[in-house]
Amino acid sequence: MNRDQLDQIKNEFKEKISHIENIKDLEELRVQFLGKKGVITQFMKGMGKLSKEERPIVGKKANEVRKEIQDSLDHIKGDIEAKILESRLEREKIDVTLPGKPCQCGAHHPLNIVTEELEDIFLGMGFSIVSGPEIEWVKYNFDDLNMPKDHSSRDKQESFYYQDDIVLRTQTSPVQVRTMLSQKPPLRIISPGRVYRSDEIDATHSPVFHQMEGLVIDKGIAMSDLKGTMDLFAKKLFGNKTKTKFRPHQFYFTEPSAEMDVTCFKCGGEGCPVCDYSGWVELLGCGMVHPNVLRACGIDPEEYSGFAFGLGLDRIALTKYGISDLRLLFENDVRFLSQFK
Amino acid sequence: MLASFNWLKEFVKIDQDAKTFGDTLTMAGTKVETITPVNEKVKGIVTGKITKIENHPNADRLRVCTVKFGPNKALPIITNAQNVYEGAVVPVALDGAIIDTGTQINASEMRGVRSEGMMCSVKEMGLDTSLFNKDATQNVYIFPEGTESGLDVRELFWVDDQIIDIELTANRGDCQSIYGIAKEASAALDQPIRSIDLYESAAKDSEIEKYLKVSVKDPNCKRYTAKVFKVNKIEPSPVWMQRKLLNSGVRPINNIVDVTNYVMIELGQPLHAFDYDHIGTKEIVVDRVDDPAFTTLDGEERKIDNQMMMITNGEKPISIAGIMGGLNSEITNQTHYMVLESAFFDKTSIRTTSRKLGLRTEASARYEKGSYAELCETASLRAAYLLEKIGACTAVSGMIDIYPNPEENYQIKVDCNWINRYLGIQISEDEIVSILKRLFLGIEILDDATLLITVPDERQDLRIREDIAEEVARIYGYDKIPNTLMKGSTLIGQKTASQKYQEQIESFLIGAGFYQTMTTSFTSPKMIEAMQLDGSETPIKIVNPLGEDTSIMRFTLAGQQLDLIAMNHSRKNPSGRFFEIAATYHENANEEDLPIQKNHLVLSMYNDGDFYTMKGVLEALLRNQDARFEMGGRDLFHPGRKAVITIDGKQIGDFGEIHPVVAKQLSLPKRVYLAELDFDQLTELNADYTVKYKNLPKYPASQRDLAVVIDKDIPAIKVRDIIHAHRGDIIESIKLFDVYRGEQIPKDKKSLAYSITFRHSDRTLKDKEINKVMDTIVSELQTKLNAQLRDE
Repeated sequence: MNRDQLDQIKNEFKEKISHIENIKDLEELRVQFLGKKGVITQFMKGMGKLSKEERPIVGKKANEVRKEIQDSLDHIKGDIEAKILESRLEREKIDVTLPGKPCQCGAHHPLNIVTEELEDIFLGMGFSIVSGPEIEWVKYNFDDLNMPKDHSSRDKQESFYYQDDIVLRTQTSPVQVRTMLSQKPPLRIISPGRVYRSDEIDATHSPVFHQMEGLVIDKGIAMSDLKGTMDLFAKKLFGNKTKTKFRPHQFYFTEPSAEMDVTCFKCGGEGCPVCDYSGWVELLGCGMVHPNVLRACGIDPEEYSGFAFGLGLDRIALTKYGISDLRLLFENDVRFLSQFK
Repeated sequence: MLASFNWLKEFVKIDQDAKTFGDTLTMAGTKVETITPVNEKVKGIVTGKITKIENHPNADRLRVCTVKFGPNKALPIITNAQNVYEGAVVPVALDGAIIDTGTQINASEMRGVRSEGMMCSVKEMGLDTSLFNKDATQNVYIFPEGTESGLDVRELFWVDDQIIDIELTANRGDCQSIYGIAKEASAALDQPIRSIDLYESAAKDSEIEKYLKVSVKDPNCKRYTAKVFKVNKIEPSPVWMQRKLLNSGVRPINNIVDVTNYVMIELGQPLHAFDYDHIGTKEIVVDRVDDPAFTTLDGEERKIDNQMMMITNGEKPISIAGIMGGLNSEITNQTHYMVLESAFFDKTSIRTTSRKLGLRTEASARYEKGSYAELCETASLRAAYLLEKIGACTAVSGMIDIYPNPEENYQIKVDCNWINRYLGIQISEDEIVSILKRLFLGIEILDDATLLITVPDERQDLRIREDIAEEVARIYGYDKIPNTLMKGSTLIGQKTASQKYQEQIESFLIGAGFYQTMTTSFTSPKMIEAMQLDGSETPIKIVNPLGEDTSIMRFTLAGQQLDLIAMNHSRKNPSGRFFEIAATYHENANEEDLPIQKNHLVLSMYNDGDFYTMKGVLEALLRNQDARFEMGGRDLFHPGRKAVITIDGKQIGDFGEIHPVVAKQLSLPKRVYLAELDFDQLTELNADYTVKYKNLPKYPASQRDLAVVIDKDIPAIKVRDIIHAHRGDIIESIKLFDVYRGEQIPKDKKSLAYSITFRHSDRTLKDKEINKVMDTIVSELQTKLNAQLRDE
């Protein structure tokens, strides 16, 4: 037992490890040299036979050899693992251009998308969303809204009736009446919903369509507030550069009344087919709530004032997406519906 | 209505071009839709008087005319027109002129004779041929007698005019006239308005009573005036009158009819002319009478009932009041004396009669929109002035005027400070007064900035202070009102819990591959029958539907979903999943109340999964409720593949595969799945739900499998119910992982395999405890369902 023997062990190890190619052989080699019954272990056990002087020297050398072997094993192990990983990665390469496994995904109806967009804008301005029955009292749909008794919109040619005093609502305004009758001012509400008029269906008309109306009642509400609120709404809907124009108009429900145009969202006011080359698109009707309406709903026009507005949701959806025919909205062809994801 | 820009300029000084003027009117509240030039191209066409006609020496059909243009100019013009005669005044396109199409006309030699131009037709002058009778449009146009020669047709016939199409609001009956629009223009432009020339009688005594007696028996006639005329000559009216009618879209007929139309367009008052001799009785009565076959001017026979206001001669009807005259008293070329009616009839009465008869005329439309009493007299005197001016008639002195309850001018008191507050502006009292004066309102300034406003009769739309605020606003300019933000109370804008729940359900379903649909609320009895649902509910019937197919309101959303699946299928769209949350309509047991409206949620699907696919979606949708699915449901479904869904013992819907018979009838794909839930009820049930957090388990779980063989017709839910009943606080979950039918078990049996997870939240369970529960479950399955353990 001497240092030469250690050199011999070392050389033997070097010779063997140079042939190792996999983890299993490497482990066997480790056992052969460093295991409990391994060469080095055996050697170290035999060191007790050495003289006192020799023991520390040979011991030191033996430890060095053991460490050398250990390091070499670790190093080779690292190399082999790296090779294995590399070959695995190579083996596991896939064609990333193959299609993915289908994951179903539906979509909102475009009318709903528009409705929610508008709702969000008004929610942000402190409005609440309310709804009401579509089959409605004539009183709420016409009388309380200051609609003249002989107005043609009350005719059977223009509105659908269930009974003489019950009509399919022709506007969402009765919701405003209901709200004013049931709640005290201050009020800020919008009422999106379905309305009915006796029109034959074509590219721009439908007996069933959708409106959103809004109502604000408070002390000291002025027409300038109506203008400011509607202008802000238009800017939120179509962008900050949008301009608005208020034209005088007439509605029975409001006095004064106005129609609001916005700069064409397609061309920004330059003039294009969407705006009929005028640069403006009509967006909504609005006005200061008529005192007769306030009174019919139990609100004192001396104390409170307010404004109301209404717009057609279907038409906004059509213009927003450039859909040319209203009937497409009601048809529900998958090829149509799947475009609004 | 159509308004001639040239005509308007006769009343108000307008320095703006037509487009700018249109914008001015629009912004002041009179909405201009379009502005259309009569013809921009036509030029160089001149009136010429034919003084001599000779045959062309070298052509049979051509004639060589000598045509005078003014006093000193005469030129040879060749024509093939056969209607021209010596003395006729015709339009001639002289050398270099341009006709309607843009074609230039040049002087040329025709078969050896020189022609200095071309005689023109109505069309070539650039006018609307539909406003002339056929003879006049097929030949060279001949001007009314007395038309001077040498005049430019572009100016003479107002070919240079622009036609302004105006959309009037319902409350401005007073603007249905050129003069009404001119007044608006006057206010908007702050320019004075020219007054209108009226007839003034030279005679002191009224002669009319010798000719006519009028009585009004129907209170819907608020005022009736009549004037009698001796007819001088019935002939075409002069060009200056015709051009205004033409540019208002009205066809010139003869001088008398033209004057009645002219005054109607100019002032807005419908007039009617009767042949005095054909009235026969020297009497006019406004009354209600029957007539089964009254022939109107258009030659139609109409059934008159006693609800309709008529003009009679005391014996028989001669006109439908305010709508159309009778053939029996029509003005003809033989008319010697004429009675001119200018009356104010109530709009509702006119409208009802017009509707009933299906007869709408210019006159009825004007009455319907609202006329006013004061205008009757003015219009009659205006017509008299014009009839005499053009030499058509001579007026018999005096006027019959039945006006039992003259309207008092309306007065409104308004505070200038209130106007400013209401509009959100700051303008002086002086400015407000000046605006209101421009609108022809009478103003008296009371103390404290309060105005007493006297409203002229024609402004029936001005009744309250808010109306006055609008007048101020529109003339001041809506665009000058500032944009302000609402002051006052702060309000929280947010969705309600149920609105949020709906949003959540929609998102879930979209994530699960469903497309939101939007369908109509109407359905047909045929559809209800096709779905085998007739008799299940009495539908809400519309009294006046557009047709049978849309005659009832849906009480289920199923019909529309099946319709749209059939449509998608027929268009070869391979598959689809759809949902909709929408209203359904139901009879109310309380007949005094409105019908009941309920929101339903409907899911439908074809070629994309089976019954259990849809059930899986429903289970996930109802995950927060303890929903039960059991055999049952409407006849719409396959009897062996349908289930009712209950939550807390309440039925909230059903679902299943569509019945093959229904599928066939509606041309559906073979297997369509549909679920319909009462969404309002679901929302209500969900209102109680809140997420409750539980600590993560600290103690281990044990799993036991249980496979039982039972009769194949026993629903699996019975087994689950028994296991579930013994859950205590130790069964965490029950999962069915296998259903087996086949060789290893008897033919009429099935095997169900469950994996049951046991866990206690506070301690580790002992096998003994678990075994005890398992034993109880097994023995109960054996006794109640005659089950056998599979591994026995």
